[in-house]
Amino acid sequence: MAMLETLQTIKRQAEEQLATLTSTAALDALRVRVLGKKGELTALLKGLGQLAPEERPTVGAQINEVHAWLNERMDAHLALLQARERELALQMETIDVTEPRPMPKIGAAHPITLVMHELIECFTGMGFEVMQGPEVELDHYNFELMNLPKNHPARDAQDTFYMDDNIVLRTHTSPMQARAMLTRKPPIRIICPGRVYRADEVDATHSPVFHQMEGLVVDEHVTMADLRGTLDAFAKKMYGEDVSTRFRPSFFPFTEPSAEVDLTCSSCHGKGCRICKETGWIEVLGSGMVNPKVLEMCGIDSTRYSGFAFGIGMERLAMRRFGIRDMRLLYEGDARLLGQLR
Amino acid sequence: MKLSLNMLREYTDIPVTPKEYENRMIMTGTAVEGMEDIGGGIENVVVGRVLTCTDVEGTHLHQCTVDVGAAAPLSIVCGAPNVYAGALVPVALDGARLPGGIKIKSGKLRGMVSEGMLCAATELGVPADLYPNVGDAGLLLFQEDYPLGSDVKPILGLDDYAVDFDILANRPDCLCAMGIARETAAALGTPFHPPAVTVREAGGNIQDEVRVRVDDSDLCPRYSARVIKNVRIAPSPLWLRKYLHAAGLRSINNIVDITNYVMIEHGHPMHAFDLAKVRGRQIIVRRAKAGETLTTLDGEHRVLRTDDLVICDQERATGLAGIMGGEESEITETTAEVMFECASFDRTAIRLTGRALGMRTESSGRFERGVSPATTMAALDRACMLVNLLDAGDVVTGAVDLYPAPTPPQVISASVVRIAQRAGTDIPAQAMVDILTRLAYQVTLDGNRLTVAVPAFRSDVDGEADLCEDVLRIYGYEHIGCTRLRGETTQGGTTPMLKLAARAAGILHGMGYIEVMNYSFLGLKQLEKLGLPEGDARLAPMPIRNPLGEDTAVMRPTLAPDMLKTVAYNMNHGTPAANLYEIAAVFDHHNPTAEGLPQETQTLCLGSYGEGVDFFTVRGALEAILYAAGIQCEVTAGADQYYHPGRSARLIADGITFAQLGEVHPATREAFDIPRRAVLAEVNLQAVLQHAVPMGELSPLPRFPSVARDLALVMSETVAVGPLMAAMRRAGGNLLESIEMFDVYRGLQVGAGNKSVAFSLTFRASDRTLTEPEIQKAMDKVLRSCTAQFGAILR
Repeated sequence: MAMLETLQTIKRQAEEQLATLTSTAALDALRVRVLGKKGELTALLKGLGQLAPEERPTVGAQINEVHAWLNERMDAHLALLQARERELALQMETIDVTEPRPMPKIGAAHPITLVMHELIECFTGMGFEVMQGPEVELDHYNFELMNLPKNHPARDAQDTFYMDDNIVLRTHTSPMQARAMLTRKPPIRIICPGRVYRADEVDATHSPVFHQMEGLVVDEHVTMADLRGTLDAFAKKMYGEDVSTRFRPSFFPFTEPSAEVDLTCSSCHGKGCRICKETGWIEVLGSGMVNPKVLEMCGIDSTRYSGFAFGIGMERLAMRRFGIRDMRLLYEGDARLLGQLR
Repeated sequence: MKLSLNMLREYTDIPVTPKEYENRMIMTGTAVEGMEDIGGGIENVVVGRVLTCTDVEGTHLHQCTVDVGAAAPLSIVCGAPNVYAGALVPVALDGARLPGGIKIKSGKLRGMVSEGMLCAATELGVPADLYPNVGDAGLLLFQEDYPLGSDVKPILGLDDYAVDFDILANRPDCLCAMGIARETAAALGTPFHPPAVTVREAGGNIQDEVRVRVDDSDLCPRYSARVIKNVRIAPSPLWLRKYLHAAGLRSINNIVDITNYVMIEHGHPMHAFDLAKVRGRQIIVRRAKAGETLTTLDGEHRVLRTDDLVICDQERATGLAGIMGGEESEITETTAEVMFECASFDRTAIRLTGRALGMRTESSGRFERGVSPATTMAALDRACMLVNLLDAGDVVTGAVDLYPAPTPPQVISASVVRIAQRAGTDIPAQAMVDILTRLAYQVTLDGNRLTVAVPAFRSDVDGEADLCEDVLRIYGYEHIGCTRLRGETTQGGTTPMLKLAARAAGILHGMGYIEVMNYSFLGLKQLEKLGLPEGDARLAPMPIRNPLGEDTAVMRPTLAPDMLKTVAYNMNHGTPAANLYEIAAVFDHHNPTAEGLPQETQTLCLGSYGEGVDFFTVRGALEAILYAAGIQCEVTAGADQYYHPGRSARLIADGITFAQLGEVHPATREAFDIPRRAVLAEVNLQAVLQHAVPMGELSPLPRFPSVARDLALVMSETVAVGPLMAAMRRAGGNLLESIEMFDVYRGLQVGAGNKSVAFSLTFRASDRTLTEPEIQKAMDKVLRSCTAQFGAILR
């Protein structure tokens, strides 16, 4: 039958052409030519009337079948072509991702501030609250309430800057102990970071302005073992689980007993090296049980309460942390150095 | 304080290595700064006798045979001028080592065999005062007889360590060998055996030799003295010189050396007077008279205050008590009668006198730290015993001892349980008793109760907490437990100011700002460079009474000078662009707090320069920080004098100035050596914190569309866009959602002295879609206000 032959021819030709098409536009044209309203298959359908009535349904069905089949093939091919075209377009847009461009500059906090925030995070996590107070301080708080009465020889050791007979630049953050005890009731757990001042000439390890962080705990049944446990937790949090603390007897007028605290040298892990002067330990802070005289002067009943206090030198920590050998560099503001922080 | 380790061994056993000893002392509270091996590096140097000595012709050399106690004498070539047959000398054998890593080997010198070296003192590192008959030029010649072949190190005091102790401020009793030995014995658990002191008196009566009167016993609680007659001034024996040398003291003669020895042994500064030179054989201790003068041992003529304590003879003041003696009664070669003074002086008085006169001596240093009056007689007797031992004179019978108000012994009652509790460590009661006893306390234990008599020399001890420390440090800090805090939970957290500073810092870091820190001090000169008008409070900052220098003489009232200095530093050190900030307090003592302290205001200061930096980038940074605090400021032209007058502004809200910023004034730049343009800003963080608005609820997303309208206005150059936009916002009312300026045009089309500014206005209502007439009405209102208030017209 001629019509069926034509149908097969259309099908075959369309299939052959489809395989050669490389653009979506050509595919659209083919679709219009074969399947469109005025297309070849539509024309065949229109010619059905010339067939015998009993032939019409089978032939009609065959035409529709071819129509559906071709339509499906064209859709599939279209998807293929579209994908290929997108790929091509993306290829055209390729850039050299290794070409250098300036990185947006990010700034950073000062080494002391970075260390301070680490300390604050460590101790606030243990329930300590940050308290801040004046840098220009009354002699009363800085010395007298810290058990350093007038003419006490230990005052000389602190090389104090005086504003007048009663006002000094605080020589340590310890006066905050007095301020805390006079304004709060136990349990007291505070830390006080801030600037302190000593009349030291400037050199690689001395600065007339430096930073300390005081810590104070006052409660019932506070012991020296609690002090050790707290500072041990601090050391492990700041420097890792393998760091331990060593307590050495020392003297501060406002603590009794007093202890200097060393940490395992982080450079040699306690084996002894140049940085720790072959001792395996690095001195980081002074501490002790709050002297009962200080508690009493600050209005705390020393028969009921006890406490401990510690003072951490932040310059020392920062210099070790960032490998800064000369303290003057911390106060020079050189962007070439500080700009390396992140 | 340096002490000979061998000297300490006289009072206690030290059955550990020097390193272990050092560590044990540190761990019980006696810091050791260093330990010098005095004979370090010397090996195989022995005593030898020169048997024959022949000159080598045509040279300065001598060929010697030397007996070092071996089978055959050695043949050694020596160039020293003082070598002679029969001399007893140190001999470095083949393979010997000398200080400085020098190694001695057998060899040939000018064809002659030399099997070692005869040593000079300097080659052994022996100082002249330790062995006075050593000359620099020649060999060390032993005066005493020693077995041939014996090691020279013990003979020359080279088998010793000089231990440098760092004594804590509260332990002046440890500033001597006895004190350290007592601590050593307690630390090592070895017996402590102080020297048994016996004085052989030669008769006579001290009352006939000298009269002593103390007028001001408040400043001189005890004055003890003894007299030596028929004094035989001579050099001290080697053992004494060795100990003095290790302690860093020079040997003078037997009498002076005895006083110094007793000082390093007992911790009591003593003074020796040539009694024949003491007029009237009378000593008076009193406060100086106003305007009184005296010449001290160092030859200085000194004018005294009435608070200075002086030692006088019958006529006048001859010495400063406890600080320095007088020239006239100094011990000399011809001294025949000596009075030893061993006294206790008030530490504060000594300190203040020393300070007033700018004097600090070994003696005054010790008195300032505290010398116990209880032990003057023991020290004095020890000195007399040494006079006996050295045969330096005859000790007159009796002593002067003025001690009108002896310090009563202190007794402390303490609880075993409380001490253990404080320590957080289980220490058995008996261990406490043992430790305290070793530290010279007299202890009785009754159940839980310790009754403790404190030794007189422990002026630092006055309560249970002190006993706890003494027990714990000997028991061992390493035995302290490691427990976490117990008890009521407390709320940890930081302060609002620290939070604000961290927020501001975070914003700045994102923009590339680096934090710097400067001292809190300034010099007036730096402040004057700012060009502030006369009368500005910042030109009268809070002065420090004892500043380090002119540049650090006042507390800074502004961070600007330091930031300008930092900008200059970086610009002049080849950093092409930098964004810097500092957060710190500025000080204002003109408005003191209730406590009378200066106001300390936390301030943020920015310094920024380089390509892409201008007024607006810095203003943006400030606005971002203020935005984060919920503060919206108006920008008002003008700032302090050190800013560019046409490129500076203040950020103000509700009448409060939160910040000022601007390009640095060229004159200021010149003053601070800043070669290129830079932008400076200062923010009052205290004010920001005070007026910060906490975050509230967020606005819902719009449900109705917005409409955008552009508006180009021509206006005079003198019109500031900020206030104009504020007026537009007011006129636009609720419907006007936002305005943006997107273009400024200057040119012929708008006329000279004019500018055309283009804005994009966005209108929206939250409850409906706006109609064209509504928008037009709002636009008309905006335009009218611009025209009416600013003379701006539609382009």
